Amino acid sequence: MIDHAAPPIKTTPQAEVFAHSDPLPKRLYGLMAEFTEHDQLLHAARKTFAEGYRDIDAFSPFPIDGLPEAIGHEHSNIPFVTLIGGMIGGLGGYFMQWIAMARLYPLNVGGRPYNSWPNYIPITFELTILLASLTAFLAVFVFNKLPQLHHPVFNVPEFSRASIDRFFLLIEAEDPEFDITRTHAFLTTLGARKISEVET
Amino acid sequence: MNEHTHNRVSRFQMISLVIGLIAVVASVFGAFTNTKQFFFSYLFGFLFWLGLSMGCFAVSMLHQLTGGRWGWPSRRFLEAGFMVLPLMLILFIPIFFGLHYLYPWARPEEVSTEKVLFARRAYENGLWYIVRQVAFLLVLIGLATRIRVWSVRQDATTDALPTRRARFISGPGLVIYALLGTFASIDWIMSLESHWYSTMFGVIVLIGQILTAFCFSVIMVSVFKDEPSIRATLTKTQYHQLGNLLLAFVLFWTYISFGEFLIIYSGDLPHELEWYLHRIAGDWKVVLITVAAFHFFIPFFLLLFRALKKHATPLTTLAVVLFIMRIVHTYWLVMPAFHRDGLQVSWMDFTAPLGIGGLWFAFFLSRLKSAPLVPRNDPGLQFAFVYAES
Repeated sequence: MIDHAAPPIKTTPQAEVFAHSDPLPKRLYGLMAEFTEHDQLLHAARKTFAEGYRDIDAFSPFPIDGLPEAIGHEHSNIPFVTLIGGMIGGLGGYFMQWIAMARLYPLNVGGRPYNSWPNYIPITFELTILLASLTAFLAVFVFNKLPQLHHPVFNVPEFSRASIDRFFLLIEAEDPEFDITRTHAFLTTLGARKISEVET
Repeated sequence: MNEHTHNRVSRFQMISLVIGLIAVVASVFGAFTNTKQFFFSYLFGFLFWLGLSMGCFAVSMLHQLTGGRWGWPSRRFLEAGFMVLPLMLILFIPIFFGLHYLYPWARPEEVSTEKVLFARRAYENGLWYIVRQVAFLLVLIGLATRIRVWSVRQDATTDALPTRRARFISGPGLVIYALLGTFASIDWIMSLESHWYSTMFGVIVLIGQILTAFCFSVIMVSVFKDEPSIRATLTKTQYHQLGNLLLAFVLFWTYISFGEFLIIYSGDLPHELEWYLHRIAGDWKVVLITVAAFHFFIPFFLLLFRALKKHATPLTTLAVVLFIMRIVHTYWLVMPAFHRDGLQVSWMDFTAPLGIGGLWFAFFLSRLKSAPLVPRNDPGLQFAFVYAES
């Protein structure tokens, strides 16, 4: 009898499949320098900006005073949008009370004038705060294009420490000043602990 | 403090002492022509400057507890400010002789006819008033002196023990300040009216004191901004933080002041309205509108702008305006109890605060000269210089 044993199934490890298929060509997104101290990052950000780089970003576990200005964030639209939201809230809040209490359904409360403004202040105040803070909250999402589930910087393994104890400075490849060797050399002079290539 | 600044401070100390003495003598002359007006003007001037000292005391304890970069350039001004408290205890003494001009409970004929005052006579009487005020100020002076001693002692040693001690009493100190200050403000101002009471009143007075102290910090820091030690700890960040604190306390002051008014307006009860009726009578309404505009609306909207808070000149200008408004607000709290039908400005309303203020400043500057302008060796200080370049 001929042994009709089934031929052994050829298996390929998953990793090998992906290694060989390589569906998306890797592109360089930028260079990222890692720092251990927050003032190093602040210093590096200022130096980088002074060098002429504009498409830069900085990452830190906590807010660093002066860092937004250092990477060229001069103006934010959020305060203005928030002001508009607050004004709509305040005027709207007062208007709702005035139209109800003084025009549509006038009530005599203890002989006070129909438009007894001191009593309308709490609601006006609360609605000002409510709409201003909601507007600010939504504006942050809209202006930052959130929610965004992935970003090229996540491809750098060390970046997970950006929310713990490490400080990162990113120079994007799109920057007209960007040149892989020159930029790399420049970042080395800033005292970075490590410089990684960020791929998309 | 270098030689040059030291001489300038000494000269200014001399000038304020002379101005203070002249104004005090003028006020004393007024005491013989219109005694009642003198005592009211004196109480108003005294309470404003005492309030500044108390505010400095509270804010410097606050900084001992929480730290913060705004406090390093301003700490020594606050300390010198509260070290004027012993002088304020001495300046309190004239008021003890004029209680029956000021307070309805000190006039026996009113106490015998007024039921409420009669019921309160065990607490509100001349002797107890004096005992309470002296005890209150002695407690404050005791705490303040300890904090100052430890703060200065830290300058000489790198061991953090003095700072730890100052911090240890600052917590209870703030509680004592709030509790006793509330009691004291009932005695000083609330009892000027025979029936009126409000549980919010003490808070309004104390928050006003703290706001005054913050305005004073901003002004003093900008006056001394070219002094090398101050310059080393003073950047846009410090102005920004002080500006934020001004905004917070302007809002807090408005919140509680309006809250008190709204509750009384809603209740509409005669014995509660007394206070506000005296304070909107005649031209007092103009004073009230001025306070609403320059103590709230204008500072509030201007302090929303980051650009203003980060620059010395506009922020200092605003602090000066707020400081003046603190004087006007104190005036509006005290004086309508005397001029119930409307605003009546007397020349003593200027000389009394000017005289007390002159003496206050002379004493303040002498305290300021006795220690370096920026504390040394405080463990928190290392963070003050890290950011100083920004």
